[in-house]
Amino acid sequence: MSVEISPMILSVFVPLFGAIAAFVLPRAAALIGFATLVLTSGAVAWLARDVLAAGAVGLPLGGWGAPLGIDLRADGLSVAMLALTSVVGFLVSIAALDSLKGPEQARQRQYFWPLWLLLLTGMNGVYLSTDIFNLYVMIEVIALAAVGLTVLSGSRAALQAGLDYMYASIFGALLFLMGVGFVYLQLGRLDFAGLTGAAPTGALIAALALIFVGLALKTALFPLHFWLPAAHANATAPASALLSGLVVKAALYVVLRLAQYMPFPSENLLTLVGLMGAGAVIWGGVQALRAERLKLLVAWSTVAQIGLIFVAFARAGEVGLSESWKAAALLILAHGIAKAAMFLAAGRIKDEIGHDVIRDLDRTPIRPTLAQFTFALAAISLIGLPPSLGFIGKWSLMEGAMAAGYWHWVGVTMAGTLLSVAYFSRVFAGFLRFDRVRAPVGEHQGWALADAAPLTLALMAIGLGLLAAPVLSFIEIGYPFGVAP
Amino acid sequence: MTPDLIYGLTGVAVFGIGLVGALSAQDRLRRVLALKLCSVGAGFLLVVGAWREPPAAPDPVPHALVITGIVVMVSATAVALALIRRLQTLEATDER
Amino acid sequence: MTDPLVIFDLLLALAIVALAAASLSVRDLFSMIVLFIIFGLLSALAWVRLSAPDVALAEAAIGTGVTGALLLKTLHHLRFASGTLGQKAAYGVTPVAPVPMAVIMTNAVFCGLITLGLVVAFLGAPAAGPGFDPLVAEAMPQSGVEHPVTGVLLNFRSYDTLMEVVVLLAAVVAVWQIERGLSEAPAPAMGEVWQGFARLALPAIVVVGTYLLWVGAEAPGGAFQGGAVLAAVGLLLLLTRAYVPQPAHRGIARGAFVLGTAAFALVALLVASGGRVAFEYPLDHAKTLILLIEGMVTISIAVTLAALFHGREPVALAKGDRNDT
Repeated sequence: MSVEISPMILSVFVPLFGAIAAFVLPRAAALIGFATLVLTSGAVAWLARDVLAAGAVGLPLGGWGAPLGIDLRADGLSVAMLALTSVVGFLVSIAALDSLKGPEQARQRQYFWPLWLLLLTGMNGVYLSTDIFNLYVMIEVIALAAVGLTVLSGSRAALQAGLDYMYASIFGALLFLMGVGFVYLQLGRLDFAGLTGAAPTGALIAALALIFVGLALKTALFPLHFWLPAAHANATAPASALLSGLVVKAALYVVLRLAQYMPFPSENLLTLVGLMGAGAVIWGGVQALRAERLKLLVAWSTVAQIGLIFVAFARAGEVGLSESWKAAALLILAHGIAKAAMFLAAGRIKDEIGHDVIRDLDRTPIRPTLAQFTFALAAISLIGLPPSLGFIGKWSLMEGAMAAGYWHWVGVTMAGTLLSVAYFSRVFAGFLRFDRVRAPVGEHQGWALADAAPLTLALMAIGLGLLAAPVLSFIEIGYPFGVAP
Repeated sequence: MTPDLIYGLTGVAVFGIGLVGALSAQDRLRRVLALKLCSVGAGFLLVVGAWREPPAAPDPVPHALVITGIVVMVSATAVALALIRRLQTLEATDER
Repeated sequence: MTDPLVIFDLLLALAIVALAAASLSVRDLFSMIVLFIIFGLLSALAWVRLSAPDVALAEAAIGTGVTGALLLKTLHHLRFASGTLGQKAAYGVTPVAPVPMAVIMTNAVFCGLITLGLVVAFLGAPAAGPGFDPLVAEAMPQSGVEHPVTGVLLNFRSYDTLMEVVVLLAAVVAVWQIERGLSEAPAPAMGEVWQGFARLALPAIVVVGTYLLWVGAEAPGGAFQGGAVLAAVGLLLLLTRAYVPQPAHRGIARGAFVLGTAAFALVALLVASGGRVAFEYPLDHAKTLILLIEGMVTISIAVTLAALFHGREPVALAKGDRNDT
């Protein structure tokens, strides 16, 4: 009698068992964490092979099948998100080993691993789920683990930010749950397939609104972004990288997924989503220009970039919806990789020079060159310069908007790009000016092996742009948006 | 008037009251309580959806969902309250 | 002619809404919590009226009982930390910036509109509409248990239930990470009469909790309700100081927290053989496996809820050490 296991169940259960082991054996937590990430990545690779060979794959848990039971399903988009999570997660973990190595961080180290592995369990669960109530539970797993990571440092600022994050998270989840209730009232089932083609009755419109606002709160879409900057800026660097690079993407993914199944909104509502995105692009950009600290600037840039993804989603209106998700998916991947690299680099810079006040970046003789270089590379992808993945995403966004004649979305994208050039330039100026401090060249050091992980991530953000075509054809496997080409 | 109508409206009203509290309450503890009210409101909606005119038995699935929701909510509440207690301790020490 | 039950329903509904509003608007935080507890118990009563006894039990035990205990404990801590323990009324415990009346009114109008929209949506939805009942009725004989809610929780949608236990685990990990130390505020201890009562009550509670777990297979009850009742034992032990958490007990506590999740997930994985998928219990052993899972989960829930109430990792801190990061 041999146990037959699907790679889908492994992608969720391996991190779960890892979290349990890391919590029970705190001294071996880092080792367990690494083994878990390697095994999880293996499971995702196995799943990717299956999906490449057979298209979308499903698994009826318990053998019941939806709607009574819960099915798992993986298509190109799910696997792309799983892969993003594994790759970014693995590299952030390497960086965490270094940034949590001090004796005074023993406690942080002990809790980082179980919380991060629980977070991984929740995120992988979201990407494979096909049931809206199951999504609610998974989102809560993510929320509790993410808040735990936010307050890892134990500082008063981090705790205050974590509490605000917690309120926003619970509130968002409850709006989502209320939406689930309305879906049940109307349709009597909760699986994605049951939502397809349902007539947009009052109850379903209420459900859609509640679910969308709940998710917007979780992904920090303007004007519901108020909790994000403080939470992401005050967390320790590896936690910030996970929160900004990965966690907000989970709720974004759910929006993208449900847009395919829920009775879709009219053109006006889609425009409203685009407008919220546009608001985020502008407001996030302006706040990033005004931010005094490097990590806060990076956090505000996340608000702006999330907005851009929603603009990408609305770019071609109702007619082009089946194409728009691709631009959004590309931007999600690009932002996930580049933002993780950027937060890690910002953390390294802060570690080396002892502060992250942007105004004083040029007042130090120590130049963490490699971290600064990494930061710049990540900025290239976030600004959207060729050949980065961010460029391909933005290009695809503008192409669709121009084809549909929606010049206002093109304008918003351009404005956002200019703003990002402006706010990142503030940082570059600090990196490149040497006239304020006179010191021998030999002291312009401050780079270490710890820069390897963020640098790898930043190089990936740039290099994947060259591989955009295969990436795009991969995420189309199983037609996540139901439309065959 | 059937119980599902009465309690369905009750649930929506409780959710609405929780909503006001979640947006307006400044006190940390009160805000937690407001969120809990929202969750009870959502619970009402699902339990009402499961109700069938007796003697027909209700749909057990939403009942299971609400039980799950209750356990999830108590977990989230516990974390929020721990954050509140820790913050208060830090604030009290900083002031001294 | 009106059915007297309708009048009862209407009065209960009114009381629930009034209590919800009152608990949010009363100034004294202690009264707020007490009103909330009454609100929760009445909501549970309403759910009994809607033929949902399992949900009512869970709400009364966990949603109201445990949540109420958590809130009261936190209030005690806040009053201690802010030095207002001696005051009669519990307000001004946390620093609160006054909210302008205009803001409150705007919020109220805004939320009122949303609520109105939801009412319209609710009235438009089909009453006693489609549901899972036929599917559940058909699948029950293969579930291994007789009580439908247990069948859904532990078999049809057991993946959700596993993840719910994971949420509980995540909560206790997060709480232990946030707070540490043996005790900052002197714990609210019970007087002697209560201590005596607790000693008498403890065995009875254990019996009730275990009974709830056992009966879950056939009748309302189950792991979550049983676990919550057993957690009450833990609360009483903590409050009477019959048990004081020690740093040396952390290993055992960690084991107890993860026991339910680990057993649940292992069973779910190991049954996947011979053409079965994960979570697909073989029919002959379904009842045994479900009871095994429920037993383990009950232990974890009871210990975890009690630990959430205690609210801190028992670590011996050096004097003045408040920021051991």
